[in-house]
Amino acid sequence: MRFVTKRLIHVVLLLLAVSFLSFGLLQVAPGDYFDSLRMNPQVSAQTVEKLRAEYGLGRPLAVRYALWLRDVSRWELGYSIASNSPVSALVAVRARNTLLLSGAATVLAWLLALPLGVWSAAKPGGWLDRTAGVATSAMVTIPDLLLFLALLLLAVRTNWFPTGGMMSLSGEEAGSFWASCKDVAFHLILPACGLAAAMLPLLVRHVRAATIEALGSPFMRAARGHGISGARLLFRYALPAASNPLISLLGFSVGTMLSTSMIAEIVLSWPGLGTLMLESIFARDSYVVVAIVMLSSVFLLAGNLLADLLLFASDPRIRTE
Amino acid sequence: MRRRLKLGAAAVGLAAVHGAILFAGFLAPYDYASQNREAAFAPPTRIRFVDTKARFHIRPFVYGLKPQKDGAYAADETSAYPLEFFVEGSGYRVAGIIPLRTHLFAVRAPGRVFLMGTDAYGRDQFSRFLYGGQLSLLAGLLAAGIAVLLGLTIGALAGFYGGWLDELLMGGAAVFLALPWLYLLLAARAAMPLHIAGWQVFLLLVSMMGLIGWARPARLVRGVVLSAKERNFVLAARAFGASDAYLLTRHVLPQTSGVILTQLALLIPQYVLAEVTLSFLGLGVSEPMASWGSLLSSLQQYYVLSSYWWMFLPALLLIAVFLLYYVSADALQERVGSVRL
Amino acid sequence: MRSPGEMRTRVEPGGDIPLAQVKNLTKRYVQRRPFTRTEYAVRALEGANLTIRRGKTLALIGESGSGKSTLAKCLAMLEEPSGGEIWFNGENCGELTRKERFSLHRQVQLIFQDCASSLNPRMSALEIVGEPLAIQKLGTKAEREQRSREWIVRVGLAANSARKRPMEFSGGQRQRLAIARALALEPKLLIFDEALSGLDLASQAAAIELLAELQAEHDLTYLHISHDLQLFPRLADEIAVMHEGRVIEQQAAATLLADPQEAYTRDLLMAMPSVESILEERPA
Repeated sequence: MRFVTKRLIHVVLLLLAVSFLSFGLLQVAPGDYFDSLRMNPQVSAQTVEKLRAEYGLGRPLAVRYALWLRDVSRWELGYSIASNSPVSALVAVRARNTLLLSGAATVLAWLLALPLGVWSAAKPGGWLDRTAGVATSAMVTIPDLLLFLALLLLAVRTNWFPTGGMMSLSGEEAGSFWASCKDVAFHLILPACGLAAAMLPLLVRHVRAATIEALGSPFMRAARGHGISGARLLFRYALPAASNPLISLLGFSVGTMLSTSMIAEIVLSWPGLGTLMLESIFARDSYVVVAIVMLSSVFLLAGNLLADLLLFASDPRIRTE
Repeated sequence: MRRRLKLGAAAVGLAAVHGAILFAGFLAPYDYASQNREAAFAPPTRIRFVDTKARFHIRPFVYGLKPQKDGAYAADETSAYPLEFFVEGSGYRVAGIIPLRTHLFAVRAPGRVFLMGTDAYGRDQFSRFLYGGQLSLLAGLLAAGIAVLLGLTIGALAGFYGGWLDELLMGGAAVFLALPWLYLLLAARAAMPLHIAGWQVFLLLVSMMGLIGWARPARLVRGVVLSAKERNFVLAARAFGASDAYLLTRHVLPQTSGVILTQLALLIPQYVLAEVTLSFLGLGVSEPMASWGSLLSSLQQYYVLSSYWWMFLPALLLIAVFLLYYVSADALQERVGSVRL
Repeated sequence: MRSPGEMRTRVEPGGDIPLAQVKNLTKRYVQRRPFTRTEYAVRALEGANLTIRRGKTLALIGESGSGKSTLAKCLAMLEEPSGGEIWFNGENCGELTRKERFSLHRQVQLIFQDCASSLNPRMSALEIVGEPLAIQKLGTKAEREQRSREWIVRVGLAANSARKRPMEFSGGQRQRLAIARALALEPKLLIFDEALSGLDLASQAAAIELLAELQAEHDLTYLHISHDLQLFPRLADEIAVMHEGRVIEQQAAATLLADPQEAYTRDLLMAMPSVESILEERPA
């Protein structure tokens, strides 16, 4: 339990530091928020002045930071001029979409990587291993950006897949929940596959390495001696033993996944946090930018923490130290 | 032996690429900004040796462009323009210093030779690729250099002195690593004014990329320094009265050279890609300066993507360049890993 | 700087003042447990007393963990003691200025057990031997190179091996390099921290012979730290025994071996088989 609390405190401290940087970002970004707010006809001049008095440059930095932090903790992330809505609502929707995409891609990637890696490790140097090795090396050299552009080309040329977006226009009015789910899923295929393909090489390499190491350990010899072989040996004996580094990898790949998914979202027009970030930078919508920065950090740190906790739960050795 | 061959081949390839990029002005028949509005989205010009009368010419030539009604182009067989070599043309500077006027090949006006076709403004993609390479590669190299240098300094200080300095510096590194790299990059970019003109944007972008990327190299260097400073030859030198600065420069830091080299080999393509991504998104250098990213950004439009296949050529060439970098990084990693000192 | 060939002719201040003295030395290390990060103290030295007489060889023996290496490191000023005093040449080291400390490094040198790791594998033999001179900023580059070459030859290595890296020498030769390096500064006290333990018997014998010659030539004082008692009947003038951070006995070698005062010393001596007793037990 001590371990858990220690890690949580660590994460909270990091988040505070990130919040500090984000707040700094807010101050540095050119363009006064209140000037743009004044141009919004829905907000009266008095309200603007009142807000300016409360949040504006008149007050010392520390106070403004404290106020901002208080608002953030209440999930009040400011107001987005560009989309004319509170930031929190906007960001929440987009975050959901990003999580959907990243989640689907992660599941897909691991579903492919585990068998590929394990079977490659079972016969190192065999045809599967060599083919997979060459394929993954080739895929590593292709920058993600180009991969997604190629997928876009595929969609445009063949019309097998939608060329972007999360839902078709008709889907919005489709009515039934199930129908809109199918619609979203259809739109999800291309970006999720692309994202999974981008993550695959790294995962396969690590699964393979971890499995090889597990296969070489003494207890595996004992298992073989007991007559266990084949798929059972690989997946029920070797893989659990190899799971430690893989769980860590799962946690740490969240960060790269987020960055890659941003590119996927932008190229394939998936309405997630990545696309919102880009739009907001162009629109000079500082509050949205800051909110996204904070949120992305939360996801990354949550992923790391989850990995640590999973490791803690799964490996008794760590618990007894 | 095979490893050395791999490293050698990759090194030669990289040298060739960088050499070509360095002499972009020489190899490129056109300037990166010169437009040919009447030849927008022209396909790559075919270099011919045999003309319509089936006559063979030793000197290659190209036909003129005849715009068609549907936007495509046909070869204007009435006008043949021979390819000339070592032509005097518009001036350029090698490495920004040496002014020259000679171009490797060109075609006399009004003929045009577009080896990789043109974009929406009729700008020669081949020339833009070369000039864009100057920008993207230089950005990658400089930014990687800054990140590694900064990481080296911070990691060495943290590892050598330990204590609160170590905690502070590594805490700072943890904060930088708490954001996904692209989000961190865009956040830093957002803090800068959106449209900056000229070479300032380049320097600004490079320093920004380098300054935010020190965390991972710093951690690695710190690890090496931690183990190196405990080694007996460091203790021995201390017993001779050596100062900390001497110990660091003479004994500890040389031990980091392996890590530094492999980091550089990995980081340079990553930073090149970062610049490409920024420019692709429209957050990098502004028009009309060319970057590999801005060359690719028009591909986001469907009609470009589906109709004008030559706009993909920079992407293929980009893959080739990255392949060379990754192969060298791989070979270097093997080499450094095996020579354990 | 003097070359190895010249004899020492300087008059030493008072022949009966010991070269070095350790008085009531304590050293505590603070360690943290890995996960809980609580601190606990390791008591390496607890009031150790030692007297090192000029021109003699003192052997410091004891089990692993008795504090021998820590004592050596404190003497060589590689570690700061937590308490007690170190006296060198009649002066209290604790009261020296930084500059005086810096020059004190010239007088005490430490030679490590694992000589391979004490030599920077990227440096040539010449650079290694000349390094102390460079650090202490003695002489010009040319003079330093000259001295280094002389020392390399003096310890019995080939002159043309000056440009070789440590990996290209054998274990015994590396030890000689370490000795040459330590002597480059002409120290008065040489401390050997288990330096002879890792060598094969032939190299050991050669090293002992070399050390004896050098001691006579340059009026050196040796402190040998070891857990191997076998060497010392021939090597040492005095023997000191350490146990749990304290020096429990210090006597002339012959006296200690014949008639140890402390029970622990007796046990230590009994545990060690002597060559004579081995020979005795062999069937004729």
